[in-house]
Amino acid sequence: MNLPALNLVPIFALPFAVVPLALSEEANRSLAARLTALATPERRDPGAPADAFLFRGREDLFEQPAQPLAQLRDEMLGGLCAAVQAANLYSEAEFAELGVQIRARLLLVRPDGCVPIESASLASWRAVYCVSAPAAAAVRPDSGTLRLYETRFGSMFTDASNWRLRPPFAAGHHAWRPTPGVMAVFPGPVPHEIALNRAAGDLVLVSARARFAHPNQGTPSAW
Amino acid sequence: MVSAAIRIVPAFAVPFGEARLQGCERLNRELEALFLARESDEYRNPTPTHNPQAEMFESRFNLFRWPERCVQELRSFMLDSIARTAIEVSTVAAEQFSRLQIQNHTWFHITRYAGSFVAHNHPQASWSAVYCVRAGERVADHPASGVLRFLDTRPGADAHLDPANRSLQSPFAVRPREVRLEEGELVVFPSYAFHEVAPFYGRDTRITVATNCWFT
Repeated sequence: MNLPALNLVPIFALPFAVVPLALSEEANRSLAARLTALATPERRDPGAPADAFLFRGREDLFEQPAQPLAQLRDEMLGGLCAAVQAANLYSEAEFAELGVQIRARLLLVRPDGCVPIESASLASWRAVYCVSAPAAAAVRPDSGTLRLYETRFGSMFTDASNWRLRPPFAAGHHAWRPTPGVMAVFPGPVPHEIALNRAAGDLVLVSARARFAHPNQGTPSAW
Repeated sequence: MVSAAIRIVPAFAVPFGEARLQGCERLNRELEALFLARESDEYRNPTPTHNPQAEMFESRFNLFRWPERCVQELRSFMLDSIARTAIEVSTVAAEQFSRLQIQNHTWFHITRYAGSFVAHNHPQASWSAVYCVRAGERVADHPASGVLRFLDTRPGADAHLDPANRSLQSPFAVRPREVRLEEGELVVFPSYAFHEVAPFYGRDTRITVATNCWFT
C-alpha cells in the first residue's frame, strides 16, 4: 500500500514524570524507620476512616523541621520543580520567580491494604515518593502499584481499528510500580489509587500535593 | 443580598435504577450452588480484559444462555429491570421500546478474600446491571469491603474547593457513589459509568451476576 505522508501527534496529553531523588539507600532506610515511627493513632488523618491495613497520616509531614524529613522535603521539591518546569513554557528565570506550596502525608500501605481512589484538590500537582517497597507479589502483577485512572470516554465505541492502539493513544489506566528512591509527579486532579498490596511487606510512600503562584498573585484558597 | 426566587435543578445527571427481587432466597441458593459447581476452567472467561486474580473467578459471558431454570428466572428479572429503567428515562414511547430486542453479555463473579476488580466501563453497551446472589461477610474494620464503587463522571470538578462548594448536598456533591448490594438487590446504570469492586475482606464468598445490554 502506498501510504500518504502524515503527521501523527498525541493531543490532550497528561504529563507523568518519574524522578529519581538524590537520597542514598542509607538515607531511605533511615527515613523509613522515622516514618514508621510516626504511624501512631495521634498522627492519623482524622478525616479518613480507620483502616488496619493502611496508615494515612496527617498532611503536615513537611511541617516538621527535623532531619531526615527536611531533606526529603527539599529533594521532593527539587524533583517536583524539575518535572513541572519541564512540562511548562516558562523560562528558567520566570520559573524561579514562582512561589511554591507543598503539603505531604505518610501513606503506610500494609499487606492487604490499599489507597482508594482520590485526587488532589486545591493543588496543581501530585507527587508520590516511594521510601520503601516490598518485593513484587508474584500472584498479583498490579500489587501496590500507583494507578492513574483513565477518564476519557472515547473507549465506549471500540472496533477492530481502535482496541489495540499503541501508547500514548491506547485507552486504559496507567500503572507505575513504586520503586524506592523514585518519585512520580502528575497533575493533581487526575483520579488515582494505590492498588491492593498483596506482597508480604509494607509499602511506605510520601504523598504530596503542590501548587505554584506568581509573586503578585492573590491568596489561594485554604487547604 | 437580593432575595430573588431561584430554581436549582441537577444537570448532566446519571440515571441509576435500583430493584430488589422479593423472595429471592431459594433462587439465590440455587444460583450459588450452580456457580460454585461450575467454578472451573471449562466455565472461566478465556479472554479476560483485566489482570486475572486468583481471588476472583469470572465466568464466560454466556450465562443467560444456560438453560437452568434458576438462571432463566434471574434473566427475566434482570433484563426486565433494565428495560424498565431504560423506558423510564427515555423519551421513546414504551410501546415502541417493547419492539426492540435486548442483546446481552452476562457473567458471574465469585470473589474471595482480597479479590477486587479494577475500575472499568463497558464499551458497545448502553445499560449494565449487577445483581447480588451472595453479599459475603461484612467486616466491621473494613466498611468498604466489596462495595461496588461508581466513579463520579465529573473528574476534576473538585479540583478547586472552598467553603462554598466543599459540602454540597446530594446529588451535587462530587464523590464516588458506593453501593453495598445485599442479596436479591440489583443496580442498573449506564454502561459508560466507570465502576470498580473494592477489595473484599470477608472470609467467605461474594457472588454477583453482571450483565451488559444493547438494544437492536
